[in-house]
Formats: sequence, structure tokens, C-alpha cells
Amino acid sequence: MAVFLRWEDSCKKMTSQSPFSVNRVYPYIPVVLILAAAAPLGLKCGALWALGALALAGVSLLTIRGLLRRPEPGPSQGWLLEEGLLQAQKLAAIGQLAAGAAHEINNPLAIIRQEAQWMQALLQMDHFHGLEEVKELQDSLREIIQQVDRTKEITHNLLDFARKRKPVIQAVAVNKLIEDMARLVEKEAQQKKIRIVQQLAPDLPRIYADGPQLRQVLLNILNNATYAIRKDGAVTVTTRLAGKDTLEIMVSDTGPGIAPEDLPRVFDPFFTTKPPGQGTGLGLSICHGIVEKLGGRLTVASQAGQGATFTISLPLKPEEGKS
Amino acid sequence: MTPKIMLVDDEERFRTTLSKLLRAQGLEVTALGSGREALEELHHQAYDVMVLDVRMPDMDGIATLTEIKKIAPQIEVIILTGHASLDAAVEIMRLGGYDYLLKPCPVEDLLAKIESAYERKTTREGK
Repeated sequence: MAVFLRWEDSCKKMTSQSPFSVNRVYPYIPVVLILAAAAPLGLKCGALWALGALALAGVSLLTIRGLLRRPEPGPSQGWLLEEGLLQAQKLAAIGQLAAGAAHEINNPLAIIRQEAQWMQALLQMDHFHGLEEVKELQDSLREIIQQVDRTKEITHNLLDFARKRKPVIQAVAVNKLIEDMARLVEKEAQQKKIRIVQQLAPDLPRIYADGPQLRQVLLNILNNATYAIRKDGAVTVTTRLAGKDTLEIMVSDTGPGIAPEDLPRVFDPFFTTKPPGQGTGLGLSICHGIVEKLGGRLTVASQAGQGATFTISLPLKPEEGKS
Repeated sequence: MTPKIMLVDDEERFRTTLSKLLRAQGLEVTALGSGREALEELHHQAYDVMVLDVRMPDMDGIATLTEIKKIAPQIEVIILTGHASLDAAVEIMRLGGYDYLLKPCPVEDLLAKIESAYERKTTREGK
């Protein structure tokens, strides 16, 4: 992070126009030289020579200034250039950060999962049989394992992102994938009185994508949606065919929506509206990268006070043998 | 015959609990904390299947696998890794590893791999 901040700082310094910048001083150097040479010549050879030297100095000044003046980037162009560089730097920083953290997290996760499995095994012993609490304990242990697996998926996706792994493309049943992910967030959503509504188009063709990566994208967007609502509301997941060759997954929430000034930045790495410690600002940035890699698009639409809709558009690659 | 398993992982808690889980399934398990200990042990005792962690200080799983294949090529090695890309998987297979598993994984998955690794070893030796 520190490296990145220093880099950003020096970039700003370079682009700012100081009154003593090279471009401003440079055109005057030949003028001073010509005048210095012409002054003794003017004294010796008369006013005509001096005028000629002044004219030459004037022309060279204008020419050099003209040559040094580059077209100023328009407001959008300049922003894009700077953003592009920032994005590249940020992605590199995230890569290192994510790989280091994710790798380390997998080891404690493995221990937690194993301990839970060992407790499950112990609870199956005869002397625990028939005890009322054992059922509840088993349920809690199942939940621990489920949450570990959920975290594992996140760490593995972070590593994939860091390593820019090429997606493993296979046939994916999108509706089934959505049902799985909805089940994962449903329990927590229920506690907050949030309904997960599924409006899934029947008979959707399988698409060719990276299933685990797509699950990660969906989980992230669903979690964001329930977080945005906080309490009482609904998250609606819709699937549909858009045209001949695109499948759309839309996730809409009844939350407060995204402020217009935040909307262009929601996919930026490290951008978050969550309080410190509650979000890394990496989730949607990673999702955006994954969807792009799969040849699709991730977009967002929102009006303040009316919730937000994230749309994942994915190409429908026809199965072999079909045109 | 009970398959003899060697488990190598530098995380003590990981290997003790995994040993208990595997023993509960009727396997004979020896747990060790480093690649060097594993190599030393192989000079004294024969094993059927080895479960080997990739990330270990001193001598990592890949280096250990390379050495093991020199002194005990008959042992089947399953690599446990925090994360494996396709390239890493290819490398493990190239070095003679039987298979790999991503941490954390269900014990059932590991058991299934151990069983098929043991099966392969016995079929090969039976021939």
C-alpha cells in the first residue's frame, strides 16, 4: 500500500505544472543566447543588425514554444489515462496482497474444518445417542463446515484473481448455480427478514463458463445486496435470454441504492462504502474481472432510494454440433 | 491388509486431528512434521501412501516429492496444497505424484484419494 501511495504522489507531482518547469524555461534559452550574441554586434554594426537579431530571437521563441506545446488532454481523456495507470498499479498491489493473505488463510481453515469433522465423528459415538442437544451440536458443526467452504471459495478465488488464472470453461447450468448460491445466503437473509426471490427462466440452455468463478461472482453480488438492504426487504434474482446469444442474470435489491457520484466507481479496486474493517473494496472489482474474462459484462444501474440492479451478461456459446 | 499412511505437514494440530480421522477409518497412520523427517523415516519403514503438504519451511512438498521418488518410487504421494493452478498440478504429476487436493478439503475426499492410490499401488505390485 505504501508503495502504491508513493507512486501516486510522484505521478501527481510529475503532471502538475510548476512555474519553474522545464517547458516554461526552455524557450527563453536560445533567445537569451541570440540577444547576448547580437548586443555587441548591434553596437558595432548598427541598428539594422540589432533589429534583425531581435526578430530572429522573437521567431525562435515562438517556434520553440509552439513545438513544446502539446495538446492538453480533455477532461475525460486525462482522467482515463490516469485511471488506467492507477488501475494497473492497484491490480498489481492487490495481486500480491491477495495471494499472500489467501494462501495463509487456507491453513487455519483446513484446521477448523478438520476439527469440526472430528467433533462430528465423536458425536456419532454410542453414548451420545438419543441426547437432545446432540442434534443441535451436529447442526452447528454442519454450519461451521459450510462457512469454511464458503471462505475457501473466497480465498481460492482471490488466488485465481492474483494469478490471473485462465478460466476453466465447462457447461454450467446457471439456474442450478443460482439456487445453490441463494441457499447459501438464505439463512443469514432470513434473520434479517430479507427474502431471496428467484425468477428463473425455465429451460435455459447451459452456458460455457467457469462454474466456481461464476458462483463467486454471484455470491459476492448477493451478499452485497443483502448488506445494502440491512433489514426487511427482498433480493430478486432473475435469469433470462437476451437476444440469441446472451444470457442475463439480474440481481436487484430493495436497498437504498447507490449515490450517483459512487456509481462510476463501484467496480474500482479498494472502493467501498462500508465502514473501515467491514469491506476491502475488492469484491466487485474481482467480479468485474471474472465476468470480463468469461467474455461477458457486469453492469450496475441504480437510482438513489430505489435499490440497485447488477446485471451479469454472459455469452451463450452454442453446444458442439449446433450452429 | 491395512494401508500404511504417512502424513507430512508442518502444522501440528492439522496432522494430529487428521491422523485421528484417518485412524477412525481403520488406516495405520504415522504423522511427521517435515520433509526431512519423512525422508529419514522412509529409510526405516515402508509405506503405501503418503499425504504431503506443499508449503513447509526448510524443504517444501515439491522438493520432498522429488527426493521420495528417488529413494522409494513405489510409494503413492498425494499432495495437499493451499491452492493449485493447472500448472502446479501438471508439475506434481510430472514429478510422479499420484494426485493433489486443495486445502481445506472434506476428509471424505482425502479418503477416496487414499483408497484409489492404495488400489493403484497394490494392482501395480500384484502384476
